[in-house]
Amino acid sequence: MAGRLLQAFLSAALLAALPVQRGKAASPPPALYTQSQARQGASTFEGKCASCHGHHLEGGVGPALEGPVFASAKSGFTIQQIYEFLSVEMPAYAPGSLSRTQYLDITAFLLQQNGYPAGSRALTDRIASASTVPLLFQAALKAPAKVAKSRAHAGRPLDMPKTNAP
Amino acid sequence: MTRFQPFLPRRSLWRLALWALLLAPLAGAFAAGYPAVTNARLAHAATDNGWLMFLRDYTGDSYAPFRQINSRNVADLKLAWDYDIGMKRGFEASPIVNGRYLFVTTPKDHLLAFDAVTGKVLWTYQENLTGVGLKTVCCDVVNRGVALYGNNVYMATLDNYVVALDAKTGKVVWRRQIKPADVGYAMTLAPLTVQGMVIVGTSGGEYGARDFVVALDAKTGREIWRQYTVPSPGQPGSDTWPKGGIYQHGGGSAWLTGTFDPASDTLFWGGGNPGPWLATLRPGKNLFTDSLQAFDPRTGKRKWYYQYTPHDSWDYDGVNTPMITSLTYHGRRYQAIVHADRNGWLYVIDRDTHKLIYAVPFAHTMSVAGFRDGLPYTDDAARPTIKKQIFTCPSFLGGKNWWPASVDPATHMVYVPTIHTCMTMKGAPTFYKPGLAYLGETFKVVHDPNDSNWGALQAFDLDTGKRVWDHESARPWDDGAMSTAGGLVFSGTEGGHLLAFDAHTGAVLWRSPKLSSGIIAPPVTYRVDGTQYVAILAGYGGATPIWGGEMVKAVADVPRGGHLYVFSLKR
Ligand code: HEC
Repeated sequence: MAGRLLQAFLSAALLAALPVQRGKAASPPPALYTQSQARQGASTFEGKCASCHGHHLEGGVGPALEGPVFASAKSGFTIQQIYEFLSVEMPAYAPGSLSRTQYLDITAFLLQQNGYPAGSRALTDRIASASTVPLLFQAALKAPAKVAKSRAHAGRPLDMPKTNAP
Repeated sequence: MTRFQPFLPRRSLWRLALWALLLAPLAGAFAAGYPAVTNARLAHAATDNGWLMFLRDYTGDSYAPFRQINSRNVADLKLAWDYDIGMKRGFEASPIVNGRYLFVTTPKDHLLAFDAVTGKVLWTYQENLTGVGLKTVCCDVVNRGVALYGNNVYMATLDNYVVALDAKTGKVVWRRQIKPADVGYAMTLAPLTVQGMVIVGTSGGEYGARDFVVALDAKTGREIWRQYTVPSPGQPGSDTWPKGGIYQHGGGSAWLTGTFDPASDTLFWGGGNPGPWLATLRPGKNLFTDSLQAFDPRTGKRKWYYQYTPHDSWDYDGVNTPMITSLTYHGRRYQAIVHADRNGWLYVIDRDTHKLIYAVPFAHTMSVAGFRDGLPYTDDAARPTIKKQIFTCPSFLGGKNWWPASVDPATHMVYVPTIHTCMTMKGAPTFYKPGLAYLGETFKVVHDPNDSNWGALQAFDLDTGKRVWDHESARPWDDGAMSTAGGLVFSGTEGGHLLAFDAHTGAVLWRSPKLSSGIIAPPVTYRVDGTQYVAILAGYGGATPIWGGEMVKAVADVPRGGHLYVFSLKR
């Protein structure tokens, strides 16, 4: 009985919390990095990450790092979690092998590709490793063409087989 | 049914003509229908003309009693048919053959059914992975093939479905999801069908999963039992874990197909590495990770176990196939389990006493330093901490990875695909978050200082534990072995050649033309209408190019793309 009450209380609390979350998503996401960090990050990403995560972050042997499936409410990643994870465990063939600056630049690039705006303050290790900002794909802030593309990537079809006669 | 009667009344002739018209599109493809896969056929899969399950039969020995292709004529092996599948990811599936139906799976869980003689595509199925992030899939988006039962074919998917399809049409019979996708669990293994059940296990040792083996009703998909490889508090083995909730992320993935011994009614299944990787975070032996587990197939109850690597800090898993065989060692006859572990030791375990008969290293072994009273002990110097970087062998890739070894009852040898790797490893901060890896270590795969090659295919005499032959390779050996009564061992190379070895001497008797890509899928063999075929998928990818560290260079030039090849002797 007590359990049931608790459950009822929790779901009520959850419901109460929901509109707040929606409100949050609607408010513009924070500017956490500079344009030049993202630009540098794009080139480091191309060299160190794209072979597995795709040249457009669409995924390959590693998961997509852009779009509504990666940066979803369901996953509930924070910027701190993604930053700490990738700077310790990536790239997979040599985890932790890049410099602090390179990891920060890449994080900036991931934020940019998921619709977060650039600002005038640089992303620092201190900020990134304490950031509880949720990583949620900002569809509205991405160029429409890009969004359509990322959706197409989600369920790539089989490149249809060619028959070889026996 | 009248159409098979030799004498036909007039009316039936019309009917026959109608049938002929209806069947015309299939003409040439099939003389016979789809032979149902019964318990009896599975029990005798070793002698079946097809290749009915992942490692041919319940023993997991990948040995076929066929001798049409043999050491005298294998040099004449020619391409019978081939099929370009495309998809530039890893192909790790064993083709599964029943009658004239041949099934292969591809990366991202597509399934193709072929006429095993002509190569004609009969149907295809594609698992819809839209909306699946593949966030907790470590080692390429692979699938290792199907299982068969009745008139169904079964596939386990990256989003944790078991899918049952009609083998003749590819139509979905049932689908059942055993865990949500992207929160630590995935499936890449070929299911095993045992006594009307489809048995699968989960991957997830890198993501804070608590893994399990699950048995579903083959007809309906209803869950019959689910057995976790990491015990909850109070269950046997729970005293080998720290108190608290850590067991909930304890790993023990069950990601490779097990074996089954009908005589003792026992299902054997490996338990994978514990999570997180860094052992200092979970003091204790951490049962039943890195362990052979013997289950009652009806209930999933654990009968006994043997732990290959206690308190693992090196991701050695323990899922490599527990092969069922018998052997004579120092004059005594044993019913044994033979298992070549990632940690570099070949274990031979007594199925009656559940004790070690013997263990010999097949690779450079530093972490597991030796055995006392039949149990392995580890070297503390090889254990990383947050402060200490270590160097040890083998690397987390092994020794030997999942690629199946083969036991040949005629030569009494086991053929072991080997990789010569070592690694540096150091503790690192980690946190558990569903959808992210949970490792607590950084690492780099490096060359074995004792060996100038990255790989080998080796043969050990099971009655003595001695190495008989060793075929060394500059590239890692990442393919399964298959042996036949023709005195041959087949295995493919990352360079893209399928090789046939003399089973006794290791001499290379046949080398296929260079295939379109590197080979990481095991070879199989089957017979239709008196002709023996050897089938293999080429299609490079898998774990090595992702996690291989220095080894990545050795495989960087391997072309990509999946392609099915079937060989036979042209007569
Ligand atoms: C050799 C292949 C490879 C390379 C190179 C690589 N990754 Fe990964 N990455 C993976 C795989 C495989 C996974 C998923 C499995 C895992 O986390 O173990 C992954 C997971 C991730 C994740 C977690 C995604 C999620 O949704 O869970 C992030 C973030 C990430 N990588 C970032 C990077 C960055 C940044 C780089 C470059 C510095 C990089 N990766 C380089 C293979 C690679």
